[in-house]
This record gives sequence, structure tokens and C-alpha cells, in this order.
Amino acid sequence: MTNLKNIYFTIAAIFFVSIANAQISKAEIRATGLTCSMCSNAINKQLKSMPEVVNVETDLNTNTFTITLKEDNNLTPKIFKDKVEKAGFFVGTLFITANADAISGANYIKVNTVDAKSNEIRFQVLDKGFVTQKEFKKLTKTFKNVATYAINNEDDFHIKVLN
Amino acid sequence: MRTFLMIFVVATFTCNHIFSQELFLVTDPASNVPANSLALNIMQSAFKEKIKSGTNYHFMPEITYGINKNLMVRASAFISTRSDALYAEGGSFMAKYRFYSEDDLNSHFRLAAYGRYSFNRADIHQEQIEILGHNTGYEGGLIATKLIKKLAISSSISFEKALDNNPNHPFPTTQGNSATNYSLSIGKLMYPKKYTSFKQTNINLMCEFVGQTINQNGKSYLDVVPAIQFIFNSQARLDLAYRQELISTMTRSAPNGVYLNLYYTFFNLTK
Repeated sequence: MTNLKNIYFTIAAIFFVSIANAQISKAEIRATGLTCSMCSNAINKQLKSMPEVVNVETDLNTNTFTITLKEDNNLTPKIFKDKVEKAGFFVGTLFITANADAISGANYIKVNTVDAKSNEIRFQVLDKGFVTQKEFKKLTKTFKNVATYAINNEDDFHIKVLN
Repeated sequence: MRTFLMIFVVATFTCNHIFSQELFLVTDPASNVPANSLALNIMQSAFKEKIKSGTNYHFMPEITYGINKNLMVRASAFISTRSDALYAEGGSFMAKYRFYSEDDLNSHFRLAAYGRYSFNRADIHQEQIEILGHNTGYEGGLIATKLIKKLAISSSISFEKALDNNPNHPFPTTQGNSATNYSLSIGKLMYPKKYTSFKQTNINLMCEFVGQTINQNGKSYLDVVPAIQFIFNSQARLDLAYRQELISTMTRSAPNGVYLNLYYTFFNLTK
């Protein structure tokens, strides 16, 4: 019983640490399903409604949104997906810049073995809803041996580290 | 019916090369307004009376709210000068649910279902069934929309049933009281060729085909609605359109006329 309690405590601690350290400083979203500027604006306004957002830069030709975030925020990649979908569209790609500690938590699962050299890392989120539907089909085949990928748990993120 | 289909298909292909995006004027796309956003639309139309002289002016304010990413609701009011002075004839409620989305970079294919109920107290003066501003009744339909880069193509089919215009105008027993509606809309973003900012004015050209067949007797019409649309500041819209009857085998009091549409989106009402 005590062991079980310890396990719970450890899980809770890991969770807490990973959330607390998940300092995302920048997010780059490429949205899918739109070409009109009124549609881009819907996404832009959704993103700007977040209190953690300092600035949103938009490239209307590629529907890319570069979001600068306040320090010490507790955001996870899920919020960006939710905001884009609330506007009526989907995330095609999501690149995140964060401090290296951010991905040490249990809810980030690295799919490549590149080790970050600096304290700041840039990664792509590969889960369902963070890539195009076509890309997700391909990735499902690629990661058929990664058990957690197929489960589609909304709170864990499979990431490809880019630096 | 076969002739109608032929004209529908031929007209579609002719118009295809000329025209427009998906924020259509007389039909809805499968996409909804953003969640938690409110769209205010003021549609005005002036249609020339065919049987008597004069012009019908219709004023139709509309509010649309996005409840979540898939569901939106709308309320409309119908005011017209058909009885000479401005007269509040009725109102309408509709809900639209997007149940399928297949999105890719700069493209999507979406499906939505919608339902609408309208009430109206005006006199019934034509065989055409139109619950947006003329008849009390209900409608249910399906919409499919495809967006490929700057071109949007949308098509819908619906069932519409007219009831009595209470309290004083029962639906004439000599007329068919239910109809099948079909539409095909094409829209293209013409300007800008390349975006530089949200402040840039966008210009869309559109062409819509709207048809109806009365289920009981097969009487039909098919209209074409070419439109030009300006989008200001990525938030406001101005549409100008002309509606022209192409073919009709039913009585319609005023089939041809112009539309002027003003549309404004209030994004993120609550945080």
C-alpha cells in the first residue's frame, strides 16, 4: 500500500515538474484548410485571446502564425491545436521552441535520438491533430512500433527534436 | 426535370471559368463561423414585381453565433415593403453542424447538415416555397464544400416544407407544400494575388445557381446569382449580387432583383 502511494506520489511529481517546466517561448503553426484573410484573422484573433501571448506574426500567403509567449507560462502544445480548431481550421505543422527541461517530463516522448546541445530546443509535434491528415497516416505506419503513438492520448506529445 | 438538370450542368460549367471563395451570398458553405464569435449580417434586397408594378424591398438582419468548432446557430428577422409600408413579417432560427472535415494545406472538403424553422405572417402569393422571408415552414439539408487554393465550390440539397402563414393566411390547398432545393456555388479569390497584411481589401467573384422543384407537381425554377464581394480589414464584408431567373414553370411574384449585403464578425466574444 505504501509502495502504491509512493508510485502515485512519483507520478504526480513527474507530472507536476513537467507541467511547471514546460516553458514554451515560441510556437510556429502552419494552419490548413484556408486561403482567405478573414479565415486567417479568425485564427489570429483566437491566438491573441490567450493571456500568455505576447505577439502573433502572420504570413497570410502560407497561413503561418509565429506566436511569442510570455515567460513562465504553463502551456502545452494542445492549446494551439484547440485554438486553431475553434477558428474552424486545423494544424498542418507545429514547431515549438522551449527550454530543454520542457521535454524532460513524462508527457513528451522523443521519437528521434538527437540530443539538444543548448538549453533551448526546437521540436515538431507529430501527434494526430498536429500534422495534416495525410501526414498522420504516414506517421502511423512509421511509428507502428511506438505503442503510445497509436493510443492518441491527448496529453502526451510525440516530438521530433530539430536541433 | 431533365431539361432543368441539363441547364444546371451546362450553366455550371460555363460559369466555372469566370467566377469565386466560400462566403456565399444566397447559400451557406459547410464551414461555420468561428467558435465563440458573432457575425452580424444585414441583407437587403430589391426585387421587381412581375405581376403588379413596383419593387419589393426586403430587409433581413441576421445574427450567427459559433457555439463550438462544429456547431453554429442563427436567428433572422424578415421585414419587407410588400404590403407598401415596412412590415415585420416573421423570423427564422437555424442550426448548422459540420460533421466531416478533410483539410490539407490550402484546401479542404467539408460536409455539414442544417435545419431551419421560420415563421411568417405575410400573405402567400406564389407557388415558390421560400421560408426565408415568405413562408412559415421548416427545412433540412446537407451541404458539401470543396476549397482548392483560391477556388471554392459548394453544393447543397434540402427538403423544405411550407405550413400555414398564421394567423390569417393558410397555405393554399391547390399548391404543392413541399419542395426539394438544390444549389451550386462557385467562388474565386481575385484580389490580392499575394497577401501583404490583414488590412488589404480582398475581392471575390461568385456565381451561384439556386433551384427548386415542388415535390407534389414537379414545377421548378432555376436562378443564377452572380456576385462581387469585398472583404475589408479581414473582418467586414460587402456583397453586391444580381438574381436572375433562368427558367421557371411556377408562379413567382418577383424573381429578379438585386442584393446588398453587409457583414461584420465580432471575434471572441468571451475569453
